[in-house]
Amino acid sequence: MKTRTDIKNIEWLSSLRKALAWSYRKLSSIETSVWLLSLLAISFMVGTIFPQGGDFDEYVKEGGRFVLLVEAFDLLAFFSSPLFLAIALLFVLNLVICTCERYKALFAKRRFPESFAPTKSFLVTQDAIRAHDETRRILNDSLGFRLVDKDNAWIVMEKGLPYRWLTWAYHAGLVVCLIGVLFTFLFAFEDTITLKPGSPQTVIPTTTGRVQYIWQNGSPQTDYHLLLDSFTTEYEESHELDYPDDRKARLAMGLGWKMPEHKMSVDPLFATDWKAKLKIIGGSSTLAEKEIEINEPLKYGGYTFYLMGFEQRLKLRVNDSFMPLDVKADDDVIIPGSTIALSLGTLRTGKAKRLDGTIDELTPYVTVKDSASKDEPAILKLNESIIVDGNIVTLIGFTEQAILSYRYDPGVTILWIGGIIALVALFLRLYGSYYLLAYKVDDADAIVTVNFNITSKGLLASPEHIENRIEELLTAGDLKPLALPEQT
Amino acid sequence: MSYDVILSRDSFLLSVELRIFWAIALIYGASLLLHLVHIASRGALAGRAAYLLLWAAAVPHAGLILLRTFEAGRAPFQTLYESLSWFACSAVLTWLFVSRKWKGFFLPGALVSALALGASLYALLSRSPAIEPLSPPLQSWWFESHVILAFFSYAVFIVSASIEISWLAFRKRSDLYGLPEEKLKGFHDTAHRLILFGFPLLTFGIFSGAAWANEAWGRYWSWDPKETWSLITWTVFAVYLHSKTVPALKGTPASVFNILGFICMLMTFLGVNWLAKLLGIPSLHIYSV
Repeated sequence: MKTRTDIKNIEWLSSLRKALAWSYRKLSSIETSVWLLSLLAISFMVGTIFPQGGDFDEYVKEGGRFVLLVEAFDLLAFFSSPLFLAIALLFVLNLVICTCERYKALFAKRRFPESFAPTKSFLVTQDAIRAHDETRRILNDSLGFRLVDKDNAWIVMEKGLPYRWLTWAYHAGLVVCLIGVLFTFLFAFEDTITLKPGSPQTVIPTTTGRVQYIWQNGSPQTDYHLLLDSFTTEYEESHELDYPDDRKARLAMGLGWKMPEHKMSVDPLFATDWKAKLKIIGGSSTLAEKEIEINEPLKYGGYTFYLMGFEQRLKLRVNDSFMPLDVKADDDVIIPGSTIALSLGTLRTGKAKRLDGTIDELTPYVTVKDSASKDEPAILKLNESIIVDGNIVTLIGFTEQAILSYRYDPGVTILWIGGIIALVALFLRLYGSYYLLAYKVDDADAIVTVNFNITSKGLLASPEHIENRIEELLTAGDLKPLALPEQT
Repeated sequence: MSYDVILSRDSFLLSVELRIFWAIALIYGASLLLHLVHIASRGALAGRAAYLLLWAAAVPHAGLILLRTFEAGRAPFQTLYESLSWFACSAVLTWLFVSRKWKGFFLPGALVSALALGASLYALLSRSPAIEPLSPPLQSWWFESHVILAFFSYAVFIVSASIEISWLAFRKRSDLYGLPEEKLKGFHDTAHRLILFGFPLLTFGIFSGAAWANEAWGRYWSWDPKETWSLITWTVFAVYLHSKTVPALKGTPASVFNILGFICMLMTFLGVNWLAKLLGIPSLHIYSV
């Protein structure tokens, strides 16, 4: 005997089951994918309208017009806000469920219609049995079609890349990519480190991933040291184009009334590469070494080390002062005894490829100019002097430091695997060819007709080509097809 | 070679380039004008002339891009000036290639020539044509593959949108413009096939961009406005492709999605620079601004 509570529980469970079944049905539909993808696109747009990572108080102070919306939906950190994550989660569920459903369908028995509408028919001069055998032989041996279904009146064959598997594979690849993104979201962290040549440093991250933070399992100090062995810069000399801002003058140039002119600037060097020779030292031995540059990081112990840039410090002696000034390049400096702020450029040192193709070793130099003046800068070479406001300023030395960022991200490998699967499957599925062919031999009223229905997938597929080949091969054999009256 | 000789040689080459590019822009303009005359008058002569003018502009344009490639010694899409030139030329060439199957139907060329003219004038009037050395982050195999494939997909999307718009606007009187009714479906299917062709290219463009960012900056995705808009474009085209399989959406709604995808693509290429400047959002793609 069931009690009222039992009945209520059963009703509740049945409603829950119905709701879950309904949700599953909805989430496995392509129509839902269309709406969720649309919603996702709109949410991405929101993230580009509001400056991500911005400070809410700053936004209010600057007179932001959507204060209430920004606060309610966390629009300044939208891509980690609950609203965005909820939309993304729904999309992921949709993608995963659709992928699972497709996987099940791969192994289910394929059903074909009992009858097909012929896309091409041939009248043949032989009897039905011979026509059937010959058609099968041509499709099988000469055109490479595989038999799929022979239980109905229409025989179904296929040829080409397994498009259903490929469709499944690129969806599965996307799921793997999303797992990679999830790993990045949960575990990745990064930090920067500045290395001086010859001074080993231990990597001690000051940040950590979300999961490590929750587990209070901070990023550990590494048991190796990083050593910057050397740092080099390469330059290319380039000319400057004297090109007018005015549109009429530009049109005049197009009409040939004026010539564009190239000229050399005071500092015509353009940094094309900078390299840091890095060593990983453990105890007294070198565990790894590599000359890293932008686009060429060093990977070691789960971390990847990237060369982000460099910092230069200059030693300037003012008059005969005992203590030289230690200043940063690419910065302004006030010279003691002077009211002028001196604007320093980047220190140029290393190899330079000249405009005429020659390569030379540079004497280190830096450009200097009065920061308030619009005059061309002067060149201050190593161990040479310039006079600033009556003071003799000499460049007596410099140091260079490499700025590295390092990152721990276990999601990247997963993302690579997923991305390659998705891309390869997508290209093969959309470009490669697949044909599904059904044929039937009719012999009503002693007239034997072979009917074909050909459908295809993929951009390289050409059903017309297959139809023509069939006709050619039937003609070459002894079936002697005759065109049907409506085809003449 | 002395510096004076190098400077005057480069100035001469640039002056030749600018004159040819202006002439090409003028031809794109004339082609657009004739396309408009064709739309208004339904005269096949104006359409044919507009089409021939596109050939007359695209061939020297491709040559000009080749010249710049030799001059710079690298792929010609480092600056926005170069990208705009490439964008215009690749869109026109793609249309000329696709249109071989639809001889006598010239309507889609109107949008293609308008975009080619707009991109050329924007490059000539607002950007500097200076050739600069490649900065370190751009010296990567990923850069070239990323940009070539992304731009190739853009060209394909432009032609697809042109076909889609022509279909939406003129499907009931296409025969007046040289496309018989029985060919209309095949013509409209071309828009779908072009997206099927361009979508994997855009996917590879985004994936290679992420791989490149990972190699150069250590982060494969940073929600940079350009990255995000490329993802929006990808998502909208994914919506289009999925809607083509849903009976209720495969007609006009799918066409609208295709055009929205095209608008998002324009936003990714150009609009996002304006948006980033307007809102003061920093962008890693600032070198292409």
